[in-house]
Amino acid sequence: MAGRGKLIAVIGDEDTVTGFLLGGIGELNKNRKPNFLVVEKDTSITEIEETFKSFLARSDIAIILINQFIAEMIRHAIDAHMESIPAVLEIPSKEHPYDASKDSILRRAKGMFSAEDFR
Amino acid sequence: MVVSEGDESCLLLDEKLLRFMDQLELLEEKRNALNTLIEQAWFSISKARYSMGNKQVSTLQFANEMKPLVSVHVRTLEDDKVEFCTERSSQKCNDESVKDPTSIEDVGPQEKGIRQRKKPKHNNTERKASEDKGSEKVPKVNPVGKRDHNPQQDPLKWFGILVPQSLKQAQSSFKQVVELSAEIAGLQIAVLNTRKELKDDLRNHDRSAGANLNASAGSKPKEVDISSANEI
Repeated sequence: MAGRGKLIAVIGDEDTVTGFLLGGIGELNKNRKPNFLVVEKDTSITEIEETFKSFLARSDIAIILINQFIAEMIRHAIDAHMESIPAVLEIPSKEHPYDASKDSILRRAKGMFSAEDFR
Repeated sequence: MVVSEGDESCLLLDEKLLRFMDQLELLEEKRNALNTLIEQAWFSISKARYSMGNKQVSTLQFANEMKPLVSVHVRTLEDDKVEFCTERSSQKCNDESVKDPTSIEDVGPQEKGIRQRKKPKHNNTERKASEDKGSEKVPKVNPVGKRDHNPQQDPLKWFGILVPQSLKQAQSSFKQVVELSAEIAGLQIAVLNTRKELKDDLRNHDRSAGANLNASAGSKPKEVDISSANEI
């Protein structure tokens, strides 16, 4: 049954990725391409962005979980993603608590009540 | 007639706005639950690391082969509604690990040794026969080097056989987080869809209201003309 369903991908710090893999979401496909990225101090923004875009392009991924502080680094790429699948979910990290005012989805929803939306 | 239609559209708009607010409230509740759960899970991981050692529970211990134990089924309903349903295949995984002859719990050779130790009362011929049978059985045991690594094993085993309870707690918390995140993803899409609907309806409402105003503005000068003509 697991083969027919889609995957959950995760981009995050070591503890976040380790935790979600403990939860059983990890996969290495036939090309040994993982559905996760551990962001460390020396991980470049380009690498994060490329991995995020590769996850968006994969048809077997339904949800992308990303630490909010990493999402801040590639905010333009997240804002540019308008499709509903894969859904992008911003999650807190150990050192950076979740801030709803930075969340792309909530910012879009909040836009409903701005003066510009009524024009 | 025109006024009642306007009222109806206003009521519909109000209903949609209330639905939108409810969805936002639910989203916030679920978000808070997710944040609390994830914090608990990190605390459990830290506790496990404290008892196992500083460099334990790290990316270096991930398995070389991984198969997902959770899959997400995406259902697209009417009105562009999307539902994410998680399905866990842990039952299957556990069954496989029990059936696996090369698992760590398999103590076959040791049991055989004990059985042989219980047989000193038999005569020599019987003992020889039993030894022969034993020697025949030996090749049947799978060599440890040839065992297949099960990619769908419990990720808890990557970090050791006897892991602390706190790591198990972390795992169960993250399992709940995975389920909750699927619910939140569905809710996020619902919020964006309702927002889009509401925005479109507001625009249509504004247009129709503007058209009504223009129409009423166009008919007014005539009335004025008539009244002025009567006065004259």
